[in-house]
Amino acid sequence: MIEGTLVDLVPFEDDFALYLETWMNEEAWFRAHLWERREPHTEHDVKKYIERMEKDERGALIGFQAKNGDPIGAVIFDHEWPRVRKAEARFFAGDSRYEGSDEVLDALLMLVRYCFETRNLHRLDAVALPFDEVRLEHLRRAGFVHEGTLRQHIRWDGDYVDMEMFGLLDSEWPGYAAKVAGLDLQPSGLEPKPRPEKKDEKKDGAG
Amino acid sequence: MKIEGLLVDLVPLGERFNALEHRWENGEAAFWGDVGDRQFVSLAVVKRRQEERAARKDQELHSGFGIQAKDGTPIGLFVVGDIKPHLRLGILGVQIGEPQYWGGGYGTDALLLIVDYAFDWLDLRRLWLVTMSLNARVTRQMEKVGFALEARQRRATLADGAWHDLLFYGVQREEWPGREAMIERLGLRAQG
Repeated sequence: MIEGTLVDLVPFEDDFALYLETWMNEEAWFRAHLWERREPHTEHDVKKYIERMEKDERGALIGFQAKNGDPIGAVIFDHEWPRVRKAEARFFAGDSRYEGSDEVLDALLMLVRYCFETRNLHRLDAVALPFDEVRLEHLRRAGFVHEGTLRQHIRWDGDYVDMEMFGLLDSEWPGYAAKVAGLDLQPSGLEPKPRPEKKDEKKDGAG
Repeated sequence: MKIEGLLVDLVPLGERFNALEHRWENGEAAFWGDVGDRQFVSLAVVKRRQEERAARKDQELHSGFGIQAKDGTPIGLFVVGDIKPHLRLGILGVQIGEPQYWGGGYGTDALLLIVDYAFDWLDLRRLWLVTMSLNARVTRQMEKVGFALEARQRRATLADGAWHDLLFYGVQREEWPGREAMIERLGLRAQG
């Protein structure tokens, strides 16, 4: 676990895997991944997604949870390019109650901290849909710089839409502590949600 | 089958090109094409990449041609890669492996052929490509042929010890005037 201000980063296991079946069918997941093929994700898809990320040597799927232990969502670094020391940064609130919250912003800051201060990366890339104002605001507050727009690069809900590109350099990052000191992060104060039932628990109970 | 240009023709990629690719991949062209990387590439790696390329072609997610000069000399290759059918877009990748054919319009002639091919035959809607800010030949070429500079990833690659930006260029089908008009605009002429 790496402790942040409002959230902690934790390995993406156990409870997170249980929640992901719901989370991967939430709007935030599709927007975070620019996943224009809006097919419903089955249990099998979710398992495959987790397996792919577990095997990924150029990235990782990392859970983030509130200070009370309630799983909120995930941050991801992917396509790490060792020669250039850069990677893509992604984040999403699986629990839609936290959409746009400072918990999600803190998770993004913790991802940046991990990438720059632990993995020694030099640069992070990020992308967003032009109408995803919540994501754009998180990126702006985290310090990402808008670097351009790939025109009509994505298919979304019947139209071709632009893809906004962002970048953050290690030289622009003041360090996690200094960054947080300038942001006045506020907790949402939400109650933990009920834990979903494990599939094998159900089976054990029935047997 | 070949697609005939003024200075070059696009021809099937085959053994003739495969045999040269190992040298090209270890030469200067790869440095420019791979945005600053200089790899020591073994024959086995080249072969594996060729097989992967063929597999993507089988899935119709990739289309590639050899580029040859009018005297039949193989000089490089051109691909439309990462084709996404539901987005109708693809990324262009080119390698003129023989440095004596840099400048002189060979790459541009091949580019005009492949853009027409991608729009008129593959029915793509958008093409894009990535180069590094150090690559003045390509950035000049992009300006000449009307690709728009859409994004600049700052300090996103390292080339010969210095940071350079990655430049993302794109062209939409409705912006493309067609090969004939572009030949006229550029004053491209056949040799001899």
